[in-house]
Amino acid sequence: MEEWQKKHILDIKNFSRLELETILSLADSFKEISKREVKKVPALRGKTIVNLFFEHSTRTRTSFELAAKRLSADVVNLTSSTSSLTKGETIVDTIKNLESYHPDIMIMRIGVGVCLESFTKYTQASIVNAGDGCNEHPTQALLDMFTVKKSKGTLENLNVLVVGDIAHSRVARSNIFGFQKFSSKVTVCGPTTLIPYEFEKLGVKVSNDLDREIPSADVIMMLRIQKERQGITFFSTMRDYVERFGLTPVRLKKAKKDCLVMHPGPVNWDIEISSSLKERVHPLILKQAENGLAIRMAVLYLVGTKKRKI
Amino acid sequence: MKLIIKNASLVNADEIIQANLLIENGKITGIGKDIKGADKEIDAKGKYVFPGFIDLHTHLRTPGREDEEDLLSGATAAAKGGFTTIFCMPNTDPAIDNEGLAKWICEKSQSIGLVDIYPIGAITRNREGKELTEFGALKRAGCIALSDDGFSVDDTLILRRAYEYAKMFDLLVISHCEDSQLSYGGNMRESFISSKYGISGIPDIAESLIVARDIELAKYLDVRIHLAHISCSKSLEVIKRAKKEGVKVTAETCPHYFTLTVDDVEREGFPGNLKVNPPLGDKKDLAAIKKALREGTIDCIATDHAPHSLAEKELPFELAPFGFIGLELAFSLTYLLVKEKALDLKDLANKLSTQPAAIAGLDKCGKIAKDYVADLVIVDLEGKWKVEEENMASKSKNTPFLGQELEGTIEHTIKKGKVIYSRHKD
Repeated sequence: MEEWQKKHILDIKNFSRLELETILSLADSFKEISKREVKKVPALRGKTIVNLFFEHSTRTRTSFELAAKRLSADVVNLTSSTSSLTKGETIVDTIKNLESYHPDIMIMRIGVGVCLESFTKYTQASIVNAGDGCNEHPTQALLDMFTVKKSKGTLENLNVLVVGDIAHSRVARSNIFGFQKFSSKVTVCGPTTLIPYEFEKLGVKVSNDLDREIPSADVIMMLRIQKERQGITFFSTMRDYVERFGLTPVRLKKAKKDCLVMHPGPVNWDIEISSSLKERVHPLILKQAENGLAIRMAVLYLVGTKKRKI
Repeated sequence: MKLIIKNASLVNADEIIQANLLIENGKITGIGKDIKGADKEIDAKGKYVFPGFIDLHTHLRTPGREDEEDLLSGATAAAKGGFTTIFCMPNTDPAIDNEGLAKWICEKSQSIGLVDIYPIGAITRNREGKELTEFGALKRAGCIALSDDGFSVDDTLILRRAYEYAKMFDLLVISHCEDSQLSYGGNMRESFISSKYGISGIPDIAESLIVARDIELAKYLDVRIHLAHISCSKSLEVIKRAKKEGVKVTAETCPHYFTLTVDDVEREGFPGNLKVNPPLGDKKDLAAIKKALREGTIDCIATDHAPHSLAEKELPFELAPFGFIGLELAFSLTYLLVKEKALDLKDLANKLSTQPAAIAGLDKCGKIAKDYVADLVIVDLEGKWKVEEENMASKSKNTPFLGQELEGTIEHTIKKGKVIYSRHKD
């Protein structure tokens, strides 16, 4: 394995294929730790990790926290809201403040995008992106890729179909960048109102017809859908949405037998996916969560074992 | 007192001549080769003299955010940038929507004694777009233009009344063109880049739609309007057509729209300092803006000087406020267009002085000529300077050009015959 170069985990778009492969194979070797009687290795003993969440999250935060603890790091959790950032203490102040405790890694989630790199100049810690605005969610894409690789044996030349609110999805963006590096084809499918401007320039196929896309898909990623965001309505009713974009047994019948159905969670049953498909799809969705832990251990390990400048 | 500026190249919108300039009692009283014998002389050998720059669009944050800019710091920054007259927008707290506040700004500007500061009165009370302000009283207080800058007047009927009513007072209505529903929540120009990074976008038609609406209305009512900070090619097409038809519309753009594009936002990693409204367009927009300046579709250049505190601009891109400071940069940024031969020096005089003077209806301003007001700026086109926080007179330092070296230095700024700024203190 080549020596790991990246200090921060900010976005999949700037990762090389080799780097992605490194993380995925390391995660594979970490999976076993969580199945031990004593679920802990001393890899990051004495390291301090701050979970800095400016947006509500329980699943991702818990996953990161457990990943850090299984590597024996000391973890503190700080939770605030993105809206609080506009008054009083700036986020830069918060980071400088935390920097005085000499943390090794800051895991950050924030409701606004493309700002994490600018924070790197205020701390010597590695910054790990746990979701920034609608930009990227690298560890989610990594765990999705990991899950696909485990099931399919490859990440190459697959047809990946991402369904739902593409415009506001950092999960979609990170997965697009990730799968494209393995020469897989990504199709995004959702209401016209939730497909961003000139999105096809990213090299993805844009579709508004789920029925037409399902038969050729090797992987279907269903995204969480919200009718309203910040008071703006993007489609008429959930009923209308589900009729066109909900994954139903009838629709899934048209898919390849070995087509994977994934969801970053939490699922809105009977909206994104019919609950009658629960038995068929839930096991893999839970597997995604399990794999997420291994991916986050791998990511923390790679940036955490790099020496901190003194 | 008699002041002579000698050995100067005098730049007007129509010609450049070599002559000495005699100034008495705040006025230009003589232009000629053999003028001499004064109390004071400025040797402008190798330098260029322009009519003092006039900025139709500044934000001086007073009253309300004097920590970001006040009338003194704003006037000082203006003088340092070669401006002799500036207009300040009413998006203050409280808004400049009444006679008292407008009058106070005029008086305060007089007592500071640097540049003329004309308050732009709000079109509607508290810029809420609902109820017209007292145009007559605002005019009496010293306003020559009105705007709800920051917002369009969304209600077209209220806008109609404003246009009609302003005509009676011969007040210039300046239109901020933005469809606030289409631009809602946006942080940058809607583009492939905004999509790639998941940043909510503002489409260019949010501007051009309102440009078209306002022009149609002005045409229908036969009134004159002025369009603020035009940023995209779609708007220019509409304006060009309207001008051809004889609609009384004038338009300004700002230096950032002919120097920066949305690509710069990506390349610089989305700093708050590159966030501005209207947002930066693409390469096509930038080229169209330059062409429109050359052809006259855009009449003048204004700064949209928008000071913001460090803490505000330190925020992540999607939370940072919109706007750049511009008073001290406008000349050098416009001079870039001269360097690349998109404009010549006469155009520069025209866009930064002659046209804004004409649009605002300033008497005997915007030209170097006998009997004109001695508002002048002497520049060194060979001079270079670096944009640094320490050397900005503005209280705020929010410009994307920080750290860059620019060409063209302001050597002296003269207001009504009085030197209000000199780069080198004697």
